[in-house]
Amino acid sequence: MANFWEKLEEKLFNFKNARYQEKFILEPGNEDKTEDKGEGKAEDKGEAKGQAKGEGEEKALDKAKDADQDKGREQEKDQAGDKDKEQNQAAAGEKEDKERDADQDKNKLKKPRKPLPLHKQKEKRSGKPEDLYVSMDLETNREYLNKIYALSKNKDIIIRDFYIATKPPLKAFLIFIDGLTDKNIINNDILKSLMVLIDEGEIVEERGRLAEYVMEHLLPGHDVALLDQYRSILDLVNYGNTAIFIEGCDKSLVIETKGWDRRGVGIPQTEEVIFGPHEAFNETLRSNTGLIRKALRNEKLITEIQKIGSRTNVDVAIMYIDDLANPKLVEEVKHRIASIKTDYIGVAGILEQFIEDAPFKLAPQVLTTERPDRVVSFLVEGHVAIIVDGSAQALIVPVTMFSLLHSPEDYYLRVPYGNFLRVLRVLALFITLLTPGLYVSVVNFHQEMIPTELLLAIAAAHVIVPFPTIFELFVMEFAFELIREAGVRVPGVIGNTIGIVGALILGQAAAQAGIISPILIIVVAITGLASFAIPNYSISFGLRFIRFVFTILAAFFGFFGISGGLFLFLVTMVSMKSFGVPFLAPVGPPVKTEPDVVLRGPVWSMEKRVDYLTPLDEIRQPKISRGWIKNTRGGKQQ
Amino acid sequence: MNKIRIGYSEMTAVLVILIGMKAFIGYPRMITEHGATAGWLLPIASGALALGLWLIIARLLERFPGKPLTAITELLLGPGLGIAVNLIMFCYFLVTTGLLLRIFSELVILSLLPETPLSAIAVFYLFGAWYALYYGVEALARSSYIALVYIGIGLVTSLAALFPYYDFRMLFPVMGFGFGSFLKSSVFEISSFGEVIALAYLVSYFSSSDRAKIKKIGVWSMGVVILLFTSMVTVYLMVLPYPTSTETFVPIYQLYRSIFLGHYVQRVEAVFVIFAAFTAIMRIAIGLFVTLQILKDTLKIPYYRPLLGLFSLLLFTIAFTPQNIVETVKLESLFSMYYGGAITFGLPLLLCAIAFLGGKGEKAK
Repeated sequence: MANFWEKLEEKLFNFKNARYQEKFILEPGNEDKTEDKGEGKAEDKGEAKGQAKGEGEEKALDKAKDADQDKGREQEKDQAGDKDKEQNQAAAGEKEDKERDADQDKNKLKKPRKPLPLHKQKEKRSGKPEDLYVSMDLETNREYLNKIYALSKNKDIIIRDFYIATKPPLKAFLIFIDGLTDKNIINNDILKSLMVLIDEGEIVEERGRLAEYVMEHLLPGHDVALLDQYRSILDLVNYGNTAIFIEGCDKSLVIETKGWDRRGVGIPQTEEVIFGPHEAFNETLRSNTGLIRKALRNEKLITEIQKIGSRTNVDVAIMYIDDLANPKLVEEVKHRIASIKTDYIGVAGILEQFIEDAPFKLAPQVLTTERPDRVVSFLVEGHVAIIVDGSAQALIVPVTMFSLLHSPEDYYLRVPYGNFLRVLRVLALFITLLTPGLYVSVVNFHQEMIPTELLLAIAAAHVIVPFPTIFELFVMEFAFELIREAGVRVPGVIGNTIGIVGALILGQAAAQAGIISPILIIVVAITGLASFAIPNYSISFGLRFIRFVFTILAAFFGFFGISGGLFLFLVTMVSMKSFGVPFLAPVGPPVKTEPDVVLRGPVWSMEKRVDYLTPLDEIRQPKISRGWIKNTRGGKQQ
Repeated sequence: MNKIRIGYSEMTAVLVILIGMKAFIGYPRMITEHGATAGWLLPIASGALALGLWLIIARLLERFPGKPLTAITELLLGPGLGIAVNLIMFCYFLVTTGLLLRIFSELVILSLLPETPLSAIAVFYLFGAWYALYYGVEALARSSYIALVYIGIGLVTSLAALFPYYDFRMLFPVMGFGFGSFLKSSVFEISSFGEVIALAYLVSYFSSSDRAKIKKIGVWSMGVVILLFTSMVTVYLMVLPYPTSTETFVPIYQLYRSIFLGHYVQRVEAVFVIFAAFTAIMRIAIGLFVTLQILKDTLKIPYYRPLLGLFSLLLFTIAFTPQNIVETVKLESLFSMYYGGAITFGLPLLLCAIAFLGGKGEKAK
């Protein structure tokens, strides 16, 4: 019985193939097109992916998908061949003859493979999406999807049945995830195009190339892929695309219909500046890469995409300038990300923990920023940016201590103002790190350093306090940290109120109650303020923590403890590396650099890029970058 | 072959701290004891002599390119005697570092924390040294390079702050006890620069291009130390003239105590401790590293890290061997600053004689 159906299907197939060739191939002008299609798909996956750099990753992905598809098709052909041998050698021989005849026929397309009977397919396949291929039978595909998506429970997966208005009408269904897709595209550009807007005379009789025909003639979508492996289809459907399955067609059309609700481009929350752009990243990868491309209009800017998280399957964009970034650095970044084996990486902060060199050190080894302009400034230095889909921050690697202390505004302002801010920030760094420790040291061990009047004032304020200074200090620091944390967690206006009310009332009340000395409140307040002047949120956290270590050391050993703490701090910092770059570069180890470490020189004096990155292009600008200068001092006369 | 590399500037900084740390403890006092008003000239004379000796030793190193002094000693003296000589050098660095640990600990007790147990201070120093060496010599060398700038700024500022007390007449008579005495002291005082020999044991940490600069590193670091010693002793003599200058335990601490620049800038000796303690931890760490490096190369041990805990304990024991602070200072002064040169310069010069007279060495061939 099975043989009978097989033969019947084969005859029908050959008949339709001949009709198809008459209609589409033998017509003048179609030959090349067919040739292109046939051979273009012969490109292997690696080749297609290799083109990703030049053509933009979307197109490259599509090509990769095509390559996957070809591979899948070949696999199925093999499967079919195996089955034939096992089941009906005579029929296979006959088939081969016919295939040979068909190949010899002039300018004909390769004969589409003969599908296995459905029950045989089911036997062969393991049921995992990785092993499943699109069946010609629509109901089988529906069954697969039903099982994969558990459609009886999963209510936001929509399957819509319809007929493509061809002659004869083709039964089809499409599948998409509600909430991730743009319904207007589905209704107007897919369903309307296929059900309503088709010419009445549209005749599609070649079933083997049905999907191709629909894609090329009937669907107006800008990004359509033809896929036959379920894994690839599901990956795209799960990311807001829509897949169309057509009766009698062993491929699915996957159309780009992403359209979930997203936040627009907002203003930076933690890296605000007065001068400079006020754009910040949002949670959409494409939007973020677009913001960077908008500011860095260079064809050498590469955006490579990797998927991470076995369950979340999140896209991670690795961006760098191809003729600038050190290839070893780029490879290292790609290698570290590709080597991650985990089920969930949802945001940049989690990825940072997976790729950083020393997870237990208190200073970050990756710079996190929400500003596209900052990412661009690092990219043109030769750094690599990493953006995780769903995260409103970009990661920059490698990073040094000094770049963590710089703010974008330093560069946007004139040299004296920018340097003033930098000096202020360095002072803030030492204040936030050492002030409580110094206070405890002086009060407990080195009173002789304080002028008598001040000493008396401190002593008078402290005389009513029943606790030792270190206890007072820790209570106040703890209260300050609580206020800060509460201010962040509590929404908007209330958060601000908690900060002000908490600080004022708590401090005032504590001083009046005689629990805390007023001078200590000043010390804690100055320390807190200084910590807010550190531009990087992550390193600010580290400094807050290290401050407690210094305070404890000061409580035990006074200035000697602080001195020892500074030594340990320095050794720790110099031993750190970020993607192979020493954390204190270019100071430790000393390497050549332009004037942009603690203080910065004028922008026109920074002629070379940082040495420790070993960029492919070291020269940023010529020795005389201001062409209008007639008579330059320190430069050659032009 | 060692994969860790230390750069030219970093190694110079390491040596400056290794040799120059004496300026923070008893060196100015001892030098004025021996040279009186000529004390400020002694560092120049003894430094110049030491520099000459170093140049001779550097020639020995050039004869055996890429080989540390431990290997050269064994090549020239044979394995048995070679190991013995290396162990003498090892003992020298171990004992001087241990004595310094005691002196630094006593210094903290005397100047800042009179109530704190001496052992607690010593343990804190040792923990700092252990921590630095645990992260490796690369971290230690880079820290030295970065810290040296700030230590220098602090030192220059404090010496400048004493300007109101400068009395140039106190530098005269120039020859102090007389020319003969000056010459004798100059010869003995070369011991103060003896730690420069550590450079010969750290050859494996240089890249092949930097190896040729070993001589230069020694010259530069000794040059900086000569400048440091001279300026320190000069100011010391001008502010606390001879013979008062021979009566202080820690001269620089006394100098800091003398600073008075108005109502708000006075009694800043506690600030001195920040610089001194910082440099002291670094000095102990470097001393411990050189000690372990010599032992590692002598006994052909691949890593020094497993020995860190053990040798920290050993240093602690040595530090507490002298009965009291006076005995410690006396021992350290004699051992490190007066007779130490017999080991640090004497033994390598002996090797030089054997190599040069015997025509030994790769380059000689």
